[in-house]
Amino acid sequence: MSEDELLSRRHPVQEDMPMQQRVWRFERVGWYVLVAIVLLALAGLFGNGPLSDAQVVSQDGRVRVEYQRLSRSGTTDSLFITVQGIPGQPVEVQLEGSLLRDASIETLQPEPQRSMSHGQAMLFQLGTKQDGVATLYLTLRSEHVGTLKGSVMAGPESAVHFSTFLYP
Amino acid sequence: MDSILRAAGMYVALMLLFRVAGRRSLADLTTFDFVLLLIIGEATQQALLGEDFSFTNAMLVIATLIVLDVGLSLAKLNSKPLARLLDGHATLVVENGRFLHHRMRRARLTEDDILESARDSQGIENIEQVKFAIVERNGKISIIPVE
Repeated sequence: MSEDELLSRRHPVQEDMPMQQRVWRFERVGWYVLVAIVLLALAGLFGNGPLSDAQVVSQDGRVRVEYQRLSRSGTTDSLFITVQGIPGQPVEVQLEGSLLRDASIETLQPEPQRSMSHGQAMLFQLGTKQDGVATLYLTLRSEHVGTLKGSVMAGPESAVHFSTFLYP
Repeated sequence: MDSILRAAGMYVALMLLFRVAGRRSLADLTTFDFVLLLIIGEATQQALLGEDFSFTNAMLVIATLIVLDVGLSLAKLNSKPLARLLDGHATLVVENGRFLHHRMRRARLTEDDILESARDSQGIENIEQVKFAIVERNGKISIIPVE
């Protein structure tokens, strides 16, 4: 019965069952592919999820950066930087890389005590309290597609490098 | 250049997605399908235009879409295999009053769908009165009654 259904009819329409079966198979496989894409997107393959959330810590543990490994062009991403300094004394953080050149900084909190340029890099001076920890919260936005690299430095031993891939 | 690539990319992506969805998916538009279509349009629009809301950009996007669409239909005129690949074939799902269940399952059709079409287009009461039911290339079900 099923065999008979696979035969191409000539009347009232000209059928091409082998082709039709390929179409049906394409629809079925395509559906599974879409399900996989949705599940991967939930996991963060396209940003904002466990696959995408990342953090790096410098060798001496003073600088810690939380960033998005994967993101999309045109969306805002947050960058969370914590630096361990000497209690009560300001600490200097240097940001550089294509991430900071190609992306525009939408917000920068808290306002640094001083900010200046240092060659290609940006230098921020942040105040600290008794615990000596300074935090900097940035939101970045870029129309770039591809990989952007960034680095945060608070001294020769306290440097972290990271990169973000932006989907179109 | 950006908007041309965006429009072309979206055209190809949507064509693939709707091919996966199959010809049945939005053929008989229910209210819900209509709303779904609107949401799809809304989601597409942002990616098509980006942040450029200028008249020129809108015209470029529309022109690209029309060029692709007309170009494709011209290509289909010239190449029969391409037309077959893109549009598919009509498929029989009822033959001499007998449901072809295997095919119906693959085309995601139920007996009720076919009977509904039969009542709607031909005023047919039961399946014995249907000589042929055919899923057309656009997803509509044509009914040919027994004389």
